Amino acid sequence: MEQATPEQYYFMEQAFEMAQKALDTGETPVGCVLVNENKIVGYGMNDTNRSMNGTRHAEFIAIQEMLRSYPKSALRSTDLYVTVEPCVMCAAALRQYQIRSVYFGCGNERFGGTGSILSLHSDFAIDPPYPVYGGLQRNEAIMLLRRFYIQENEKAPKPRPKKHRELNTRFDGDSGSANLMAE
Amino acid sequence: MKVQEILRGVQALVGEVTPIKTVQETQPVEEYDDAYVAGVNVKNAAKVVKVLDAAFPRDPARPMNHLRRFAKQANLPHPLHPLLLADHPSAQTIFVLISPPLPDVGRLQELLAPFVSNPDNAQDPAGQVKLYTVKVPTLPPLGTAQAEKWSKELWPVVYNPAAARGTVSPNIQVLNRTREFIQPDAGRYLALAHKVAEEAEQCGRGRKVGAVVVDPEIVSRILDADEDIESRWADAIVAVAGDARYSRREAGGLSTAELHTGVGPNPATEAYNADLEGGPELHALMRAAEIIAYKRRAGDPEAETDKPSLSPLETYFLAQTDSTESDPQDPSPVPEKYQKTSHDHAQAIPISTSVPADKPTSRIRPRSQGGYLCTDLDVYINREPCVCCCMGLLLSRFRAVVFPQTGRMVTGGLASEPAVRPVSVPVSAAAEDEHEYENEHSKRQNKDTHDQDYAEEAEQRLYYGLHWRKELNWRALGFEFIRDGECGFGDESGEGRAEDRVAFYA
Repeated sequence: MEQATPEQYYFMEQAFEMAQKALDTGETPVGCVLVNENKIVGYGMNDTNRSMNGTRHAEFIAIQEMLRSYPKSALRSTDLYVTVEPCVMCAAALRQYQIRSVYFGCGNERFGGTGSILSLHSDFAIDPPYPVYGGLQRNEAIMLLRRFYIQENEKAPKPRPKKHRELNTRFDGDSGSANLMAE
Repeated sequence: MKVQEILRGVQALVGEVTPIKTVQETQPVEEYDDAYVAGVNVKNAAKVVKVLDAAFPRDPARPMNHLRRFAKQANLPHPLHPLLLADHPSAQTIFVLISPPLPDVGRLQELLAPFVSNPDNAQDPAGQVKLYTVKVPTLPPLGTAQAEKWSKELWPVVYNPAAARGTVSPNIQVLNRTREFIQPDAGRYLALAHKVAEEAEQCGRGRKVGAVVVDPEIVSRILDADEDIESRWADAIVAVAGDARYSRREAGGLSTAELHTGVGPNPATEAYNADLEGGPELHALMRAAEIIAYKRRAGDPEAETDKPSLSPLETYFLAQTDSTESDPQDPSPVPEKYQKTSHDHAQAIPISTSVPADKPTSRIRPRSQGGYLCTDLDVYINREPCVCCCMGLLLSRFRAVVFPQTGRMVTGGLASEPAVRPVSVPVSAAAEDEHEYENEHSKRQNKDTHDQDYAEEAEQRLYYGLHWRKELNWRALGFEFIRDGECGFGDESGEGRAEDRVAFYA
């Protein structure tokens, strides 16, 4: 475990701004930025509800933006900062895109693809593995998700009523939010 | 018209639709943990349960119902006899199991103290109830054989078929019903998927991968109306999508497809060069989800933004209307799943009740009429989708996915175990003799060399069985299509197994 640098902290803050924007527009609050040579080259937030496409996760949006100005090969020298551990789909996509490294806020126990459910960053594949560091501003990431999941999803064919849910503000296993852990 | 010629030219593949086993079935996990055992008087058994359950409530997320709470002396596994029977010779003694997570020892001893059998040597030198640590399986057994083995070696275990199957594989009735439903037309849809794949490759936009998405509800309506599915199978197709990995312009330059000025397949298909592979959102399955999403957005204020760029086959199918839904004299019944929400959510009312007969309707219901992602649709694809696309399939809520077994890919995410190969061609076995594992490993890390032996790669692939994993919130039914007489060799075009050719992500 090591202390995050001010730059890493800053880039994660930018990812959080995207996540907040997603929450404000009724999307799952996940945000990310792509950083190449200390410069943000792509911003992404979840876009599944607006697009009606369940695969439009923040990572894909950010990559799409980056590739307007950079070739795919530039991802090999690019890092991803994302508020929540990439899901199985995104973890596999980042491997295909040969991302340099991934920094995330909180783990994703339902869909996480870089350590929680599967370890697609390090499993056998025809592209090289990538390192993953988790835990940067973990609690902020969890709070954003809780604020989202307490709402009802009125877009689903059968919305589940959630009137009596209360926002949980407790954290267990709090290891501080300024530390990075290699997955 | 050319597309209709292609449709007429579709020769249905002949073969069997076979469920892909789940990884819970093919790679069963056995997990063990420590538990405590204590001897108590058999007359106190009911009280012991009450006291323990009150003090240490059971965690419903970790059900331990497969472990018997009590074992009589006669039911103890033999390996535990020396540990337990020396201290507890009394026939009045029954053994209680305290399953993980283990409680505080002192508190447990205090609770059990009133219930021990007096003739036994039940206390340790400090006067506390003796607790014995044993190993128990923390997951329910998958069959009677496993239950018997554990009962003989570890601790008496109960096998409950219903409880075990729920986390292991899909409901068997649903699986069989869906397989029977898919079987009659699967060969045709897969043959068309191959045509879509050929189009994608021949126009230089992508690799030879194609997907066909079918709405089983339309198939049902055709069958219910006693229509001839032989001639109307294509009416249930809601979208087709080909691979388009070379079509994207990056950094403002020309795309790999545009740089290829000749005819026929793009030269990039001959090898795997990551820089030219586009990305998974350009794969056939992801594009199918994107095309369907585009139609779902019809009527949105910005419906035409992000319009996908379509091939002729893709354009043709997207423009087709649903000929099974527009008869107002015989409105098809409102599907049950929409009825429940229809009173308070007007948007969930399906189109069949509200659209005049003269207005043909799209086969893809927009969101304003209850359409949602790719819910309840089936996708037929000529190659095993990559791990990324498989999760995209789940996130899109497809009902089922079907691909030919010869289309397995080393990068695939669906297969859960190696295919049974009927003829022993020991290519990989011979290769293994020649190279040490270390050599393999260093070669693997140097991805610039393109001299990989594809057969070796097939040996190394992982079997994710992503369609139905207990850890994931969304699941789909997965099927492989095994052609008659081919037994795993040769694909639609007689090219052999995809796993033996250049490795890429489908």
